[in-house]
Amino acid sequence: MGLNILVVDDSGVMRAMIIKTLKMCGVPVGEIHQAANGEEGLKQLENHWVDLVLVDINMPVMGGEEMIDRMRQNPVTKDIPVVVVSTESSQSRIEMLEKKSSGFVHKPFNPEIIKGVIDGIVGGTDGKPAEGKTLQGVGQDF
Amino acid sequence: MESQLKEKLYKASARTFEDLAFLLPSETPGEAQAAQPVERAVLVRFSGPFSGRLVLKVSGGLPQALAANMLGEDGPAPEGAKADALKEAANVICGNYLPEIAGPREVFRLEAPELIEPAPAGPEVSARAELGVEEGRCEVEFYAEGPGAPGRG
Repeated sequence: MGLNILVVDDSGVMRAMIIKTLKMCGVPVGEIHQAANGEEGLKQLENHWVDLVLVDINMPVMGGEEMIDRMRQNPVTKDIPVVVVSTESSQSRIEMLEKKSSGFVHKPFNPEIIKGVIDGIVGGTDGKPAEGKTLQGVGQDF
Repeated sequence: MESQLKEKLYKASARTFEDLAFLLPSETPGEAQAAQPVERAVLVRFSGPFSGRLVLKVSGGLPQALAANMLGEDGPAPEGAKADALKEAANVICGNYLPEIAGPREVFRLEAPELIEPAPAGPEVSARAELGVEEGRCEVEFYAEGPGAPGRG
């Protein structure tokens, strides 16, 4: 059974590129949902069961950091693993975003990096959770 | 200092085209590439320890090549996708260049990239890099402002 994944990025081309990369690198993909900003992303989470969120940081309307903060305040979404996919290059900001999320992928990325980060969260490419972890509730420590 | 800024700008730009769209730039555009008129330009404003803007100008069908390669699809890309791809490239170049020149712990805020009318580089340009890509070329101009700006003492 594939992972239901929500991709949040204000660039339609980047969303398409991330989705293509996920499929290409062997991540077991179930349903794919998309959003162009954090606000749309939260609405998608209200309407769909999502196993994993990939989110950009700098977006209009609501950025990725605020989206993650709001997800963590909601009992329903607080444990969903989030991978930040961003151009952010400041080491101090990356460290802070890594604490808030389950993983960080720097743009530009290659398929191996995305796969490595997702494997680290959900286990191998067979979609089974990593040992001792569930799909919802991994890597979060608040 | 000026040559370091230029070299780092070239490297950040070349890496973006390579990793984002599998395009291999050359450091010096050829005669045919250099003759291509600028097709589109994108601006990214930033603020942080110093503020400024980065302008990306492209020619020779580069928006099409960029969008097609990022999407992994043959055939003409929609106009919206071309603009989107160009904006993303400018965003990635700027996001990767700033820590290279300001230090890895400095925090900058990048605004959403915007399409602008192409114009010649201003005299206040802090660094400028030119790359030959596919049939055209790419010009990247970096403008830094304020007392902490590199190359401004």
